[in-house]
Amino acid sequence: MTNLLAMAHRIIRQILRDKRTLALLIIAPLVILTLVWYIFGAKTPEPKLAVINYSSSDYLSAFKKSDYLRMSRLEAVQALADQKIDAYVDLKDPVHVHLEGSNPQRNGIAMTKLQKSMTKVQKISINKLKNNLTGVIHQQQKAIAAQKQAMQKMTETLRTYAPGILTSLPQQQASGNSNAPKAPQKVELNVSYLHGNDNLNTFDAFGPAMVGIFVFLFIFMIGGVSFLRERTTGTLDRLMASPIKNYQIIWGYMIGFGLFVIVQSLILTCYLVYVLHIYNVGNLIDVLIIVFILSFSALSLSILLSTAAKNELQMFQFIPLVIVPQVFLSGLFPIDTLPRWVQLIGNLMPIHYSTEALRNIMIRGTGFSGWGFDGAVLLGFSLVFIVINILVLRASRPLAV
Amino acid sequence: MTYPVKGEHLYKKFKKQVVLDDVSITLNEGEIYGLIGPSGSGKTTLVRILLGLEKADRGEVQLFEQKPTLNAFRSLGYMAQSDALYTELSAYQNLDFFASIQGLRGKEKKARIRAITKSVGLENDLKKSIDHYSGGMKRRLSLAAALVHEPRLYLLDEPTVGLDPLIRKEIWLLFRYLRSKGATIIVTTHVMDEVTQCDRVGLLSEGHLIAQGAPKDLMEEYGVSSIEDVFLAKEETRK
Ligand SMILES: Nc1ncnc2c1ncn2[C@@H]1O[C@H](COP(=O)(O)OP(=O)(O)OP(=O)(O)O)[C@@H](O)[C@H]1O
Ligand SMILES: [Mg+2]
Repeated sequence: MTNLLAMAHRIIRQILRDKRTLALLIIAPLVILTLVWYIFGAKTPEPKLAVINYSSSDYLSAFKKSDYLRMSRLEAVQALADQKIDAYVDLKDPVHVHLEGSNPQRNGIAMTKLQKSMTKVQKISINKLKNNLTGVIHQQQKAIAAQKQAMQKMTETLRTYAPGILTSLPQQQASGNSNAPKAPQKVELNVSYLHGNDNLNTFDAFGPAMVGIFVFLFIFMIGGVSFLRERTTGTLDRLMASPIKNYQIIWGYMIGFGLFVIVQSLILTCYLVYVLHIYNVGNLIDVLIIVFILSFSALSLSILLSTAAKNELQMFQFIPLVIVPQVFLSGLFPIDTLPRWVQLIGNLMPIHYSTEALRNIMIRGTGFSGWGFDGAVLLGFSLVFIVINILVLRASRPLAV
Repeated sequence: MTYPVKGEHLYKKFKKQVVLDDVSITLNEGEIYGLIGPSGSGKTTLVRILLGLEKADRGEVQLFEQKPTLNAFRSLGYMAQSDALYTELSAYQNLDFFASIQGLRGKEKKARIRAITKSVGLENDLKKSIDHYSGGMKRRLSLAAALVHEPRLYLLDEPTVGLDPLIRKEIWLLFRYLRSKGATIIVTTHVMDEVTQCDRVGLLSEGHLIAQGAPKDLMEEYGVSSIEDVFLAKEETRK
């Protein structure tokens, strides 16, 4: 037990004295997350659009002057080529849209805006149709009224001259405005959210995955390298030639780093929630627990992989192998449509579970029922890695039993 | 007579290269044993096998007359050929850690650290970070870390390499003092004047222990005036 504490104590001292590592652990994730927040959390930019052939068009009212520049065809073609506008709309019937098209994201926002205008165009053309129809109806109604008058006159004449005939005729109801158009129906949808709200931006959705990725990445790098150094400088041999037990070495690492992980994840989550105002309806403690368990798996995995590395460079070569696939399969991007085997690989990745758990906590606000399973899987990963680590150490100490 | 460490018929291969070929070595309690041989002859490998850091392909090692156990490591001080220190930590923190995992506590630990740093001449540089240590200072601190818990058996891999003659002399004085208290020391070395200070030497050449004995006896036996010449004479008779 005292060996374990001596081990943990030494690691804490090492990190505390190494200001760079400390900064990398605590400050670097904050800086990067802030950057990501600006990128994904920013308001979507306004598309730049124009209309041409508008002067004689009935649809112009759908294209507000504040949103659409008025241009001649020549100007618009030139502006599109110079990327000064994202798209222009030719209002000559039938309406045609010309997109710049080189940037899918800008295409997207231009199309969203255009679609809004196009629904208005549709409304206008429907109204036009309706107006035409009501004109026809009016004329018919007039004709009917005239007929009615004629009939009336006829009945009156009949009444005076031959009242007996009238009783056999069906009584015509005094018709009001029965075929007048009804009030137009609202076109917009009423949307209600089971989780989150319409203010949820990309960063809010990415946030939980991001927390996992950064905690994992930094713990992986620092933990892996410090254990690797233990091997390459020969201090591990010194430990191996001392009465310290294998599990004390590994758990000493877990405890020593664990302390910094608590501090790191506390700062990181508080920063996200209170400074960047990431959407969070869950319990902060739950978030911390998941982050903590995740970093355990990162640390134990990095210690394991450091066995297979001969130097720092080789350790960092694991990052594209271990971290990058996790970023893509962690739930940052939808993976439902990927082939089955890719999804299976995703299921073997710690960040996959932390993302799932953190989403449940932060966006869906679920309690233990929402993250218990994922937390257990993460713990399972850590335990498996720790056991393998202890066995690997035992193999490098062949005589002592 | 007890044997602090004993290796019998050790055989070790790295890939296809035979590094140790049927080496048997037994240390007597209270002696300084010098392991000498050219670079690559297998000195480090032999020491690591005696420690249990490496497993011999064949042969057997005994520490304090039994199969090595973790408990036996408590009575053992190892200094590797590389310095093996935590460069982020100060000298004191390094010694503090190594003393702790060897089971030293509290006042006793502090007293031992003070005593050992004095013996290696680092008592004024304890607060310094290892980053700011010179090569020789690191070597001495590394030695101190192996001695701090006062073990009964020392395995020191080139403990004096890179040190100036004055400090080297003092360190050998320390070794003789430790021996006088009953400790057993095995050192590997290249320095010939150190060889003559050993009680016994073992000559290792290409994985074979070609000669073993007190330096004086060896020189007499081969009729030469230095251990280097013993090497040459032995090589000649082998050919
Ligand atoms: N881990 C290893 N893998 C492969 N070969 C090794 C390994 N360790 C040592 N060797 C080889 O074993 C031989 C003996 O190495 P060793 O380190 O024991 O020599 P040494 O006598 O200590 O040399 P020096 O005086 O230079 O320290 C060398 O040829 C070396 O290349
Ligand atoms: Mg060597």
